[in-house]
Amino acid sequence: MKFRQRPLLFMLLVAMTLLIAACAPTVAPAGEAPTGATTASEAEAAPANDGTLVIAIAEDTASLDPARAFETLPSIIHKATYQTLVTFPPDSVKTVIPDLAASWDISDDGTVYTFTLADGAVFNNGDPVTASDVVFSFDRLKNITGNPSFLAETIASVEAPDEQTVVLTLTQPDPAILAKLVFGAFSVVSQAEVEANGGAAGEDAATADTAEEWLNQHSAGSGPYVLESWEPGVETVLVRNENYAGDAPAMARVIFRNIPEAATQKIQLEAGDIDIAMDLSTDQMASLESNPDINVYQGLSDTLIFLKGNQDPEIGGPFADPLVQKAVRYALDYEGIRLLAGGDAVTPASMLPVGFLGAYEPNSGPARDIDMAKSLLAEAGYGDGLDAELAYPDFTFAGVNFGTFAQKVQADLNEAGFNITLAPGEVQVALESYRQGTEPFGLWLWLPDYRDSLDYVEFLPDGVVGKRTNWTSENADEEILALRDQIKVETDESARADLFGQMQDYLIEKGPYAPLFQPGIQIGLGGDLQGFVYNPQWRVDVSLLSK
Amino acid sequence: MPIYQYILRRLILTIPLLFGITLIAFIISHAVPGDPVTANLGQKAMSDPAIVAAFRAEWGLDKPIPEQYLVYVRNLARGDLGRSIKSRRPVVEDLRAFLPATIELATAAILFGSILGLILGLMSALWRNSWLDHGVRVVSLFGVSMPVFWLALLALFIFYARLGWTAGPGRLDVGLDPPERVTGLLTVDAILAGDWVVLRNALAHLLLPAVVLGAYTTGLITRVTRSAMLEVLGQDYIRTAYAKGLPTRTTLVRHALRNAMIPVVTVIGFSYGNLLAGTVLIENIFAWPGIGQYAYRASTSLDFPAIMGVSMVIALIFIITNLIVDVLYFILDPRLRAT
Repeated sequence: MKFRQRPLLFMLLVAMTLLIAACAPTVAPAGEAPTGATTASEAEAAPANDGTLVIAIAEDTASLDPARAFETLPSIIHKATYQTLVTFPPDSVKTVIPDLAASWDISDDGTVYTFTLADGAVFNNGDPVTASDVVFSFDRLKNITGNPSFLAETIASVEAPDEQTVVLTLTQPDPAILAKLVFGAFSVVSQAEVEANGGAAGEDAATADTAEEWLNQHSAGSGPYVLESWEPGVETVLVRNENYAGDAPAMARVIFRNIPEAATQKIQLEAGDIDIAMDLSTDQMASLESNPDINVYQGLSDTLIFLKGNQDPEIGGPFADPLVQKAVRYALDYEGIRLLAGGDAVTPASMLPVGFLGAYEPNSGPARDIDMAKSLLAEAGYGDGLDAELAYPDFTFAGVNFGTFAQKVQADLNEAGFNITLAPGEVQVALESYRQGTEPFGLWLWLPDYRDSLDYVEFLPDGVVGKRTNWTSENADEEILALRDQIKVETDESARADLFGQMQDYLIEKGPYAPLFQPGIQIGLGGDLQGFVYNPQWRVDVSLLSK
Repeated sequence: MPIYQYILRRLILTIPLLFGITLIAFIISHAVPGDPVTANLGQKAMSDPAIVAAFRAEWGLDKPIPEQYLVYVRNLARGDLGRSIKSRRPVVEDLRAFLPATIELATAAILFGSILGLILGLMSALWRNSWLDHGVRVVSLFGVSMPVFWLALLALFIFYARLGWTAGPGRLDVGLDPPERVTGLLTVDAILAGDWVVLRNALAHLLLPAVVLGAYTTGLITRVTRSAMLEVLGQDYIRTAYAKGLPTRTTLVRHALRNAMIPVVTVIGFSYGNLLAGTVLIENIFAWPGIGQYAYRASTSLDFPAIMGVSMVIALIFIITNLIVDVLYFILDPRLRAT
């Protein structure tokens, strides 16, 4: 066989043709107003300009089944496609307002909640929303024992004495149950539709329910939008629910495009091809703020970045010593850390993020006092310095690079007489020692499991984080144990605020924690976008948006 | 031996090789100090024993490790690659969804890289030490040294955002429906469906990532072609051919280029395998839903079935490209056929 030059030339010719064909995009960018002259290809892609919203987000969806989903994007999707018994107002998480339930009564002992459903709510197939759908949805959540099912752990039973009434019986008083019910996990699905597609809510639902595949491509809810499709890793598409009982949303179609890289999101936003860039970071803000075609939303997230010691002297060593723990709190340069975080980041007083019930204002915690830190160390017997390792997961989460802050902490503590060595670990590996309680001193984060201050009881003895610092009822003092038990059952709002104040007071003086900061969030918005409101629970309510 | 027998033997040997790959992938991913529970359940869910138990039961993680491997291999023999813990879909479905995107991208990149690399390398060798040669050598050095993620962002920023010459990230414009799926390769499917709008759009989106991804390959192939050509051109038989009076073109093609192709073909084959396996950064920046991103997500979430599935697929791709390269040797080099 002879090797001819012709194949090479031919390939060259093909390549040139393809290149010419490929250059110059054939479809006008989605954000631009349509011009008078349209080519055939523009007409093909016309939907992009007709009431379509394009949102760029780093997709973290594992499932769109409300009983299994717990990530960021599913929470946005569920807010649009489903309704819950109660919800939050558009821009805050401090109070709970009616959604599917028009009103509710709480029994005197705080264990029985009776909800009366509002009239008129219908699913996207036209069927009315009834109490038995609520019972089905809640039972299904509990029995599938998926990721979000822990939210239902205080629910003993849910019943529907009639089609308009739902009775929720708890295992014990749970002051946060209403806040938990806002979660997408408690979305009310149409029992008829879900069962028809393999859904089950009985005790064996974990193995008997096969509706996930269907729910990943369809929604059976009463929200303003319907899930049209989900192409994993590419995009999720919502379309307006024609049967929605409330006011129709302005945008006919909402497309969530998976753009994993924040820099790419920014480039697309600037090019006008997307309307919202969800994952921007603080260092991208400067150039966007000077761009007249783009608006920037800067707000406060509810993530908490903190340091933790270990209450077990055999593991924690010096970091089990209350004097050393306090020294850490006084050695940190909180203002410097806050500036490093950038944006709207704040310094919380203690282990309760700003914005939650009872949380102190920013900067109400200990102020930096190097001399105090040094004298505390000396008192603890480390006047000549304290050699220690700071463990942390080596990753960037929500724009926060842990390596950067670990270095800052190291610098701050070293000024007070510590001698810190950094001990980064790959996330899954570091998480293991943190979770097992074998980590003496670490830098970690906490995302609220639900938007109620009660979640932060997890930092107290026997809580999730408490256990990771080996802080249990065995080695905790009476004061904090009593406080913890009171907080768990108190339902009166002002009494709760007072108790959480006491919790912060305690943790500022004692305990194995030091708060670092609460990061801000940055979202880029196209210039013609109206109605954007940020809510920490669901990030963005797309039904409020218009162009 | 006849070539068909050779190919058949190689293909048969692939099967034990793949099983070996699964064993290695299994051992390594389980040797990592980490737990899929931690990676896949939320912080609160992780501390609920009922949820953890349900999770372990669902994914067979409550069985002893050797048993887990045997279960995997048994299923594998039936063609069942298991379900991905992260996506909760069958791994086969995930691979079917994400592999074509990477194949399309890598193939476009290797075509671009090889053709351009061959041409530049040839020209560089023929006009050695001229300005052209120096220019080409600088460009190829640039190609192999520049970090690909930086090149990618720069290219997106300049050619897409500022100049508007190319399409943006993703495989298609937003709102444009893909053609009916036959192969998963958008260009091929568009041609098969006669959908020229989608074809143009797909090519427009393919252009920039393919060029950026192919930059390294271009540089590499240019250099290899150049050095191989220079070596061959210095051989006596080339001098003889010229002395005989053979036209330059015939000499170059029939004698020089053909003999120089052997190392070049090796590098192209090797690069193709690498491209298919190493597109994570490009896929991340260009929002290209391919196997690179899938593999990265699988490994960071300790998604054992997905990790093993991807390892096998990538190993298979390397095996096939190596086989093709070896077959090409047969074709190119008569000495190998003489056995």
